Amino acid sequence: MSETLKKLEQLRKAKQVIELGGGEKRITKQHESGKLTARERINLLFDGGTFVELDAFVKHRCTNFGMEKTDAPAEGVVTGYGMVDGRLVYAFAQDFTVVGGSLGEMHAAKIVKVLDNALKVGAPVVGLNDSGGARIQEAVDALSGYGKIFFRNTLASGVIPQITAIMGPCAGGAVYSPALNDFIFMVDKTSQMFITGPQVIETVTGEKVTAEALGGAMTHNKTSGVAHFLSQNDEVCIADIRRLLSFLPSNNMETAPVFESDDLNRMEEALDSLIPDNPNKPYDVHEVIRAIVDNGDFMDVQPYFAANIVTGFGRLNGRSVGIIANQPKVLAGCLDVDASDKCARFVRTCDAFNIPILNIVDVPGFLPGTGQEYNGIIRHGAKMLYAYSEATVPKITLITRKAYGGAYLAMCSKELGADIVLAWPTAEIAVMGPQGAANIIFREVVSKADDPIAMRKQKIDEYTEEFATPYKAAERGFVDDVIEPSASRPRLIDAFNMLQGKREQRPGKKHGNIPL
Amino acid sequence: MRKFNITVNGKAYEVEVEEVGAVGTPVSRPQAAPVARPAVAPTAAPATAPAAAPAPAPAAAAAPAPAAGSGEMVNAPMPGTILDLKVAVGDSVVSGDVLCILEAMKMENEIMAPTAGKIVSIHVTKGASVNSGDVLIVIG
Repeated sequence: MSETLKKLEQLRKAKQVIELGGGEKRITKQHESGKLTARERINLLFDGGTFVELDAFVKHRCTNFGMEKTDAPAEGVVTGYGMVDGRLVYAFAQDFTVVGGSLGEMHAAKIVKVLDNALKVGAPVVGLNDSGGARIQEAVDALSGYGKIFFRNTLASGVIPQITAIMGPCAGGAVYSPALNDFIFMVDKTSQMFITGPQVIETVTGEKVTAEALGGAMTHNKTSGVAHFLSQNDEVCIADIRRLLSFLPSNNMETAPVFESDDLNRMEEALDSLIPDNPNKPYDVHEVIRAIVDNGDFMDVQPYFAANIVTGFGRLNGRSVGIIANQPKVLAGCLDVDASDKCARFVRTCDAFNIPILNIVDVPGFLPGTGQEYNGIIRHGAKMLYAYSEATVPKITLITRKAYGGAYLAMCSKELGADIVLAWPTAEIAVMGPQGAANIIFREVVSKADDPIAMRKQKIDEYTEEFATPYKAAERGFVDDVIEPSASRPRLIDAFNMLQGKREQRPGKKHGNIPL
Repeated sequence: MRKFNITVNGKAYEVEVEEVGAVGTPVSRPQAAPVARPAVAPTAAPATAPAAAPAPAPAAAAAPAPAAGSGEMVNAPMPGTILDLKVAVGDSVVSGDVLCILEAMKMENEIMAPTAGKIVSIHVTKGASVNSGDVLIVIG
């Protein structure tokens, strides 16, 4: 064999070794615990044969505690780029079979390179996390690695979409890179995120808790609101990531890809009778959303957290739209601390990535009570006002029923910059509900009446007739038009088309100061 | 952890009292703290006071939920009035079934089962006012 061919053979062998990661035994163990390997995940993420690996030969430089004898193929993280539905995406996948996917100096350097490159070319980054945490042998070099990643996550924020999937453990400092991303996926039962694990918690505070209850997928999807999506297994998770990418542009200078739409003029007769006659009866706002969007296709973002407000992506006329809707079925559709956070964050995500916003409003108000006030509903509610006012993407508000008081304003009223406000005839736009209003403005008339109960009812009816309608607001131009519910889809598509050329300038500043 | 038998209006309650500050003893099930109401409400209120009184330490009395045992508690998400109960003790439910209607914020809110199981106990009656966090129903 010639020298050149020998070298070629050498290269092939070296790559084979690297591709085997931690070896057959550890790969089997990874599969037994219900997880795919880093390379299997990468292959699922990208269109067949498009993945190009970078830095496969990178090695760690640690000589502490016997690390000089430890071989870590690809440094425990597979990095590179490829195509997702024909669009460039960068990705890194931590390899749990190689020193537990632990993060050291060079492991971090590989991720940093991915972030730098993605930012340079304006491509989304997908991180697939499965790591035991910092490589303790590398001491402060490992910490420095995390710090460098956090810094780049922040620089890239609002420029390229950053998506993380937690597909194994993710503890300590490692949690903050995902937290700085736009979206976090978690795989049910096999992923956990926490700052301090159950053992440390028990030693320090005596509190006993399982890893799953502390930081499992459902905990972060439902209770903490840290995660945005919950997937049943690795395959579903990666399919979900690909689906999410289809709603997003590659960067903040582009718009999301356009897909084929179903009938633009589709009338939805069911919407005409969806709102119950009794304003105290709930309905499922998902029915409204599904009836309006293309092919009934809606991707719910944070479906389990603050379910009193629904956020997610759909398409109108093939174009991506961020939808925010009050959910009368949960907590009466009230705005509370969590709902405000969820909504404000989503609005800013859409605005950063040029995704127009549709608001579907049926809100009785902010949730009253000490619980809410003590938790800072003023501070959190202000985020909604801020986010909506700040957003310069096309904003359309559709009021289906209740729109009362401050919550009416907070759901992107005309004053906060809604370009078009449409209302169904069932809309009630007022400072407060008829009963509350009657108790205040008609107190004297009612108390002096011969039959106060009858008088009160009469006054409530009068108020309802006069004010619990969309027409008072339409008289002032706060509502652009009152429409038939069945015509919602064509009317919204028309309005978004009209707004495609929207340009709005804001005063130049370093950055605003959103109440956090 | 110390155990006491307390009789209120002829009904016996077994109460566990834990000294706060005792190193290493984790506080168990904080949500059990407000001596959970026994199925019939009237005896509930007096039960709380004597339960705490004989405690040797000025400790918070942590009583085990009565009849309930361990089960999934369904709490009131906000203050309101119970308009209707859709289930009875012993009924089987699946996740998403409507358990009761809580009228709050001028809305008839459907309170749904978070999990499948049998209704172990019901802690409210039709027309009762509830506060945020009150236990409504326990599913076992």
